[in-house]
Amino acid sequence: MSEENWIEVGSTDSIEEEDLIRFDHQDKTFCVYRLTDGFYATDGICTHEAVHLEDGLVMDDEIECPMHQGIFNIKSGEALSPPACEDLKTYPVKVDNDKIFIKIS
Amino acid sequence: MKNNIIILGGGQAGIYAAREIRQNDSKSNIKILGEENLLPYERPPLSKDFLLDKKNEEDLYFYSSDVLKNENIEFENVSISKVDFENKKLFAKNDDVYFYDSLLISTGSENKKLSLDNNLKNDVYYLRNLEEAKKIKETVSNKNKITIIGGGFIGLEIASSLSQLQKKVIVIEIGNQLMGRIIPKQIADLVQNTHLEHGNEIILNKQIEKITKKNGIYEILLNDNSLIETDFIIAGIGSTPAVKLFENTNLKLDNGIVTNQFCETSIKDVYAAGDVSNFYHPLYQRNMRLESYQHAQNHGICAGKNIAGVKTEYTSIPWMWSDQFNLNLQLTGICDDYDEIIERGNDINNGVIYFFLKNNKIRGACGVGIMGKVGRDIRITSKLTEKDTIVDKQILSDQNLKLNKLIQK
Repeated sequence: MSEENWIEVGSTDSIEEEDLIRFDHQDKTFCVYRLTDGFYATDGICTHEAVHLEDGLVMDDEIECPMHQGIFNIKSGEALSPPACEDLKTYPVKVDNDKIFIKIS
Repeated sequence: MKNNIIILGGGQAGIYAAREIRQNDSKSNIKILGEENLLPYERPPLSKDFLLDKKNEEDLYFYSSDVLKNENIEFENVSISKVDFENKKLFAKNDDVYFYDSLLISTGSENKKLSLDNNLKNDVYYLRNLEEAKKIKETVSNKNKITIIGGGFIGLEIASSLSQLQKKVIVIEIGNQLMGRIIPKQIADLVQNTHLEHGNEIILNKQIEKITKKNGIYEILLNDNSLIETDFIIAGIGSTPAVKLFENTNLKLDNGIVTNQFCETSIKDVYAAGDVSNFYHPLYQRNMRLESYQHAQNHGICAGKNIAGVKTEYTSIPWMWSDQFNLNLQLTGICDDYDEIIERGNDINNGVIYFFLKNNKIRGACGVGIMGKVGRDIRITSKLTEKDTIVDKQILSDQNLKLNKLIQK
């Protein structure tokens, strides 16, 4: 695991618990979540239609798409409720010195 | 016990009911009878991504034939012409007879049609099913000036799609605002502005007097004597529950099939779900009929549970959406029973929501914003409605304060 693949997202206090922030890097966009047991990251765009999940609602371990209420498990990316049927890609996250990093590739 | 379960109607409510029954009952025969020779498919994209070629037919099916096969759910394309509730039999047009122990009616709804001269009956297009969507897509490709009769969700979604296909679109609406049946005027006006900005023409407060055809061009005469020339006409003027089959039976009908909170009709072992059902909602303590994606799914699931013997009340909070251009409009709860309205936000870029309150509790809300801007707040509103929470109106009206603060855990 090479160090350069870990991209800094921001400080841990930039995300409230049970909430998320949008993170853009180069031409990609992600959602980074703070759940009760830690930080997680997924692709930013819903797999159903091209809308960003940044405006979605985080409930427990799930993110709900703000447009059509498709639901994904944040930790596994699994599509849990229609109209979403394709899973969401997830990314490893680590916290170092109160800073959040995600491993994009 | 092994039963014959028949689901009459091959739409969303039917397929979700079938799968839910199978989850709870591994033995019974489950057969869906569908009038279209297509497995159950999603209808919302028909007026949007399907017309825009962003989705094709294969993208629309809820489940593949493999899924149905694995779950031992049969699908048969057949048109039923008569129902004998007393002897639990359905008669098909081709004389086949189907026996059931339990019947779910999920026949959906049908488009209202304009009353036109016979020679123009095939000239006006409607959009409810895939075949109609294909016809519109094919025919519209070499037309330029399109007129849409009816400024409701379906008409406006088609107007948005055709505008994106560079067509000149005119929408004629009989009422004094768009989507008048259910949407607050302020929100209708925001949506109307977006259509105007994209070059669509909106004509309100006008009735169609007459449509004539000359040399392949239609002339629409309005009640103020103005004349609209157009190449193609689509009408979206509302729908009615598909209940013709039951009109001379004992099944209780009143704006659809009357059901209780368990999806049970007035006849034993006969259930109804989705658009066709006028169901009792325990939270609102009244009957209602809904035509929406979420309702078809959840009501189908609830009916499936009850048919399989898992007694379940239907308490889902109504929710629906409409996508037009880059706007996403959402509606939750009921917006016709309130003593106070509270507005949240005034910029469509950040989302605008109107909450409808009664006795300091939210009954419903309607919002519109760019893409998903109102989604989270509308979803939280559904939860607050479900929990019958007395809300802090200051938080509701101030977009800088997060609504999830109102949810009591």
